[in-house]
Amino acid sequence: MIMKGQKRKHPPEEVEVSDRSSPMWESQRQFVFSVSLNKYHHGQELPEPSLRRSVLIANTLRQVSLEAVAAPSVDMEVSPPPCSSSSALHESVVTAKQHPAETFSNSHSALVSCPTVTLNDLSYCVPASNAPLSLKDEDEDWGSMSMDSDFSLSVAISSILTALDSTIDGSSQAAPRTPLRSLENLSAPSDGGVAWVKQGLRGYGGGWEQQEEGRAWEGSTELMRCSYLSELTVEDLFQDIDTSLLERDMEVLGLIGSGGGCPTGDDLLRYLPPFSSSPSHPFSLSLNQNLKCLPSLSSFGPLSSSSSSSLPSLSSPHFSSQNHVREGLDLEHLMEILVES
Amino acid sequence: MKCFSRYLPYLFRPPSTILSSTCHTEADIISTVEFNSSGELLATGDKGGRVVVFQREQESKSQPQRRGEYNVYSTFQSHEPEFDYLKSLEIEEKINKIKWLPQQNAAYFLLSTNDKTVKLWKISERDKRPEGYNLKDDDGRIRDPSTITSLRVPVLQPMDLMVEATARRVFSNAHMYHINSISVNSDYQTYISTDDLRVNLWNLEITDRSFNIVDIKPANMEELTEVITSAEFHPQQCHTFAYSSSKGSIRLCDMREAALCDKHCKYFEEPEDPSTRSFFSEIISSISDVKFSHNGRYLMTRDYLTVKVWDLQMENKPLETYQVHDYLRGKLCSLYENDCIFDKFECVWNGSDSVIMTGSYNNFFRMFDRNTKRDVTLEASRENSKPRAILKPRKVCVGGKRRKDEISVDSLDFSKKILHTTWHPHENIIAVAATNNLYIFQDKVN
Repeated sequence: MIMKGQKRKHPPEEVEVSDRSSPMWESQRQFVFSVSLNKYHHGQELPEPSLRRSVLIANTLRQVSLEAVAAPSVDMEVSPPPCSSSSALHESVVTAKQHPAETFSNSHSALVSCPTVTLNDLSYCVPASNAPLSLKDEDEDWGSMSMDSDFSLSVAISSILTALDSTIDGSSQAAPRTPLRSLENLSAPSDGGVAWVKQGLRGYGGGWEQQEEGRAWEGSTELMRCSYLSELTVEDLFQDIDTSLLERDMEVLGLIGSGGGCPTGDDLLRYLPPFSSSPSHPFSLSLNQNLKCLPSLSSFGPLSSSSSSSLPSLSSPHFSSQNHVREGLDLEHLMEILVES
Repeated sequence: MKCFSRYLPYLFRPPSTILSSTCHTEADIISTVEFNSSGELLATGDKGGRVVVFQREQESKSQPQRRGEYNVYSTFQSHEPEFDYLKSLEIEEKINKIKWLPQQNAAYFLLSTNDKTVKLWKISERDKRPEGYNLKDDDGRIRDPSTITSLRVPVLQPMDLMVEATARRVFSNAHMYHINSISVNSDYQTYISTDDLRVNLWNLEITDRSFNIVDIKPANMEELTEVITSAEFHPQQCHTFAYSSSKGSIRLCDMREAALCDKHCKYFEEPEDPSTRSFFSEIISSISDVKFSHNGRYLMTRDYLTVKVWDLQMENKPLETYQVHDYLRGKLCSLYENDCIFDKFECVWNGSDSVIMTGSYNNFFRMFDRNTKRDVTLEASRENSKPRAILKPRKVCVGGKRRKDEISVDSLDFSKKILHTTWHPHENIIAVAATNNLYIFQDKVN
C-alpha cells in the first residue's frame, strides 16, 4: 500500500496496538517518533510550511514523548525498528528516552515541559527581521558564534552522550571504554572535554535548572567510563570509515593541496556546514538541528592507519571561546561515526 | 444487494463528455468545485489560479437525451502567483475556495480566494453592442470632428454572445496565514474569510478593511496546539457561524454577543473512544470540512475516517456517524508516513438534506442516505464506466477472500483522491473532481 513510484520501506506492524506493555506498541511508538521528527524538520526546511500540518505533527511528537514517559521501562534488548541511516541518531535518542536513566530523565522532562518541538518556526509570517533561519545560517561565520549557540550545541552534545549512555546494556560500566579514550584525547584531556560541556551549560542564562546542568554533565562523564565499545579498538572503529569521498570533496573545496592526505582539523571543520544559531529553541529542536547539519559519515570510507593516528590532531587541543564550537562539533562528528558503526 | 440497488434513490450514470485533458500539468489539478444557488452554473478552480464556469444546457425537446448537460461558459484567470517581498515567500495562485453570490440581476457574481486574497468576480454576458457612434467609427478609430456633418443616435446591434469576467473587488492584506474557507452571509452583504488562526468579516462593498471576529493565535506561538480548519455561516441566521478545529471540535458563535467571537455559544465535540485510541487519534480527528444543512438544523463535519452529522441542539455527541473508509484505520502508520493522513476531504449535502456525500481514495466517493441508512461507493473513472451506463457500486475487500468485483485495501491507489465534490441545490446532479478531471453525474431518468 504505497504511493506509486515511492520506494517501499520496511513497514511497521500495521495493526494499531493499544496495549502499552506490548513490544509492538513500543516499536510503533519509536517508528512514529522518528517519522514525526523527520517530517517536522522537513516541514521547517520549507519556505512556508503548512501551519495545520506542522501543528498536527508537533502535537503527535509531543504525545509520543509523553507516552514514552508514561510507558513502563522497556527491556533494552528490544531492538528498535529499522530506520534509514540518516535517522539512526534519532533512533538512538528515541531508545534513550525509553531508559529511565536518571541523567536523561531530567532533560527529558525538560523536553516535555518545554513547549517542545517549538512552534517558533511556525510563526513564519513574522517580519523579515526574523527571516527563516536557514537563510541566515549559511552566511554566518564560524568564529562569530554566540554563547547561546554554544549552549544549544552543548545541550546537543550532552544529549548524544546521554543517549549513548542509555543504550548501554546494564553490564559493567566500571570497565574503561578503550575506544573512547582516543576521543577523549581528541578533545583534550577527558576532564577538559567534560569541563567544556559544563562551561557551555553554565553560559546559558535562562530556562534550565542548575540541577539539570549538573546531571547532563554527569551523563557525559559517565559515558566516558562506559564499556559499551570496550571490545573494539580505535582501528576497528575507523576501519570502515572511508575518507576518500571526504578527500574528494575537500579537493573540490580547495582545502587540500596537491599532497592530498588527511585534512587538518581546521579544514575539516570548515567543510562542515554551520548549524543554526537559534538560542530560544528548546532542547530537542536544537539537538536535531545540530545533528541535521552534520554530513552523513556513512559516506566516508575506512581510514588508513596513518590517518587514524592523525585524527587526534583534527581538533586543536587548545580551548578558547572560539574553539569551543569547533571542538564540540568535532566530538559530535565522531560520535556519529560511533553510532552509525 | 439486488434489493439495495433497486431501492437506492440515485443511480448515477456518467455524462456523455467528461471534462478533462488527457495530459495534465500540476496547474490543471482541480482544487474546488461549487454549484451556484440555482444550479445553473458550476464553477471550478484549479491550482493554476484559473476559474472555469460551466453552464447547464437548456432542455430541448428535439434532443431529450442531452437534458441538462454542462458546457464551458467562461474561463478566466482569477489569481496570479505573487511574491511577498517582505517575507521572501511565493504566494500560490491555487484557488482554495469559490462561493457564489445569490443572483440579483443578469450578471453572476462569485468570490474566489487563494491563500491570501479574496476576489469578487462579475460574470456577465454581452450579446449586443452599440453601433453608430458620432465621434468614433465602428472600428473604434476616432473620427475627425470636422468631417461630422450630422448627428445620429447609436443603436444596439446583436452580436455573438460574449461572456466576460471582470474583477470587481479585491480583498487583500487581511490574512497572515493561509485562507482555507470563505462563506457568504445570508444577508448578502457580508462574508467571512478564514485562515488557520483568524476569521475576518468583510462587507462586500468595502475592500480596505475587515473586522476580525475570531482570533485563536496565542501570545506565544510555542503554545499553539490547535488551528481553525473551516468556517461557515448559518444558512438562515445571519448572526451565526460555525468554525471547526484541528482537534475535532466545532464552535458555534453568535456575532451579536460580542465584537470578538472568541467565546463560543455552543461547543460540539465527541469524547474520544479509549478503545480506538492511537498515536494518530488527534490527526484523524482533525476536521477538514464543516457544512450546515440547507434547513439550518444540522451540521456536518468530515474528519479523516468519518462523516458526522450534528444536531445544533446537542453538543456532546453527533447525531449520526458514517464510516467512510474504516478499512484504513489499520493503515494509519503508512498513511502518516506518506502524508495521506493530512488530506482534507470535503463533504456535501443534497438539496433535501437526506443524503450526504464525500470523497475517498482510488477515485471512490461515498454517499450515505440518512433515512434508509444505506450507503454506496462509486468510482469516478473513465476506465470503469461506459458513457450513459449506470455506475456500478464498488466494494473494498477488507480481508480474507476477495470477490471478483472487489478491490483489496492494498490495491487502492492513494494518489487518486477525491477531495472536492458538490451537489446541485435542487436536483440529483453531482460534480466530482478527480485530480484534473471533472465528472458530472446525474440520476437516471425513468
